[in-house]
Amino acid sequence: MTGDVEDRREEWEGPVPVPNGANADFWAATLEGELLYQRCAECGTSQLYPRAVCTGCGAVDPAFEVSEGTGTVYTYTVCHIPGEPGFKDRTPYVVANVELTEGPRLLALVDCEPDEIEVGAPVGVTFWQVTDEAALPVFELR
Amino acid sequence: MSEPIVAGVAESDLIETPDRSWLDNAAIATVRALEDADLTLEEVDGVAVAGGDDYMPALLLSEYLDLDEPSFLEGTEIGGSSFEHFCGHVADAMARDRADVVVIAYGSTSRTGSGRDRSLEVDHPVESFVRPTGLFRPPGAYAMAARRHMHEYGTTEEQLAEVAVSTREWAALNPKAEHRDPITVDDVLDSRPIAEPFNMYDCCLVSDGGGAVVLVSEEKARELGVPEISVAGVASTTTHRGDVSEMPDMTTTGAAVTGPKAFKQAGITHDDVDVAQLYDSFTYTALVTLEDLGFCEKGEGGQFVEDGATAPGGELPMNTQGGGLSYCHPGHFGVFVLIEAARQLRGDYTGQRQVDGAEVAVAHGTGGLLSSSSTVVLRREA
Ligand SMILES: [Zn+2]
Repeated sequence: MTGDVEDRREEWEGPVPVPNGANADFWAATLEGELLYQRCAECGTSQLYPRAVCTGCGAVDPAFEVSEGTGTVYTYTVCHIPGEPGFKDRTPYVVANVELTEGPRLLALVDCEPDEIEVGAPVGVTFWQVTDEAALPVFELR
Repeated sequence: MSEPIVAGVAESDLIETPDRSWLDNAAIATVRALEDADLTLEEVDGVAVAGGDDYMPALLLSEYLDLDEPSFLEGTEIGGSSFEHFCGHVADAMARDRADVVVIAYGSTSRTGSGRDRSLEVDHPVESFVRPTGLFRPPGAYAMAARRHMHEYGTTEEQLAEVAVSTREWAALNPKAEHRDPITVDDVLDSRPIAEPFNMYDCCLVSDGGGAVVLVSEEKARELGVPEISVAGVASTTTHRGDVSEMPDMTTTGAAVTGPKAFKQAGITHDDVDVAQLYDSFTYTALVTLEDLGFCEKGEGGQFVEDGATAPGGELPMNTQGGGLSYCHPGHFGVFVLIEAARQLRGDYTGQRQVDGAEVAVAHGTGGLLSSSSTVVLRREA
């Protein structure tokens, strides 16, 4: 298991992931607290979001691996205006681009105060289950 | 080699047009640009439209204007840089004698209409990785890139603010600009926080309005006797679309690729450029584009704007109509950078508003979330 899964289905009012196609396995794993990424067996390319082809060599359906769920903040912003329905009461909130230890970057909420975060900060993943079908990867400062 | 000539440019009414649709604004800009070129609708044989709220916008505008069998139709949607991108396709078509008079048009009701740029909200698997984060787009996406730039190069919020301040100085000279009162760096820093590090004055306006550019073949231009403002170089590219996680390096945009290509095609160097119209959806957009087009070293954009290079009287007059930050920004600003570049080369203005003896202009469009880049070099032929 990569990180804890907290049930937030009752309180979540924001958009929820729609598992489909190459994304389905990724979102299914989040319910088990696992953060997946794709790593191509042919050429070693790591990638997110999940796709039906490898962006390195074109191999079809590159395999999933389980990420350690750790990384660093590549960059971030503090949203003072809600970008989606259901985020109004959250402002100001931190959205970061997290560079996973395995390489790919991922956009995610960081559960921290705006003045606690900085570029380069180490983070670890947790999950907020927001529907029966998916849990959001949400990072915490380590 | 035959190059398209900018024969006419125009805006529709700007800022607020509550009684108009995007199509009305695109059509009004079109007929005004044709009038500017001394051409009629009857002579139009090509249409290129982007950003309109229709998935077959070239067909719709052709119908609306009742065009007679147009042969060149373009509706490629690459965001705010679409209009620069079109210039390359028009050049190819004209080189093959497939069109003589092409209208590049845009219209929007971003401010008073209900459909605010729905193109950014298309349903796509990628969106499942973005929308649940609540990221306020586009500002939050550009803000993250700006934050990374600050981290890597020491760029400051004051330097970003400097872009808004110098742009406002230009806007003060433009009666059509929405905001014309001078502002200071402190005003920018004290304005309402939007998506850190951006405050309100780091962000473009949200306006209604449209614009159009009429490109004609060299033969047609000679017939018309218009000043020969030629499309001397064009290049486009993209780095990502909806998820900025996929942007290879958030501190470098596609302009680093399109700038050198367009400059080379036009046979110019940076010293030849008299005026730059660079998409400024946010202060950072213009700053990073200055760097990526090579007007200063990578990472030194902050210092470049701080030293006043882009302000009135500076060595590189930039966004001389006031840009998207102070003049207007109906969503796809790219058509307006072309319009202003052409007007400066024609010498349409007087006093400080006119860049003295401008012969070479660079118009650069940025689209999506720093996703697409298109550079056009316009040159006034002797
Ligand atoms: Zn591969």
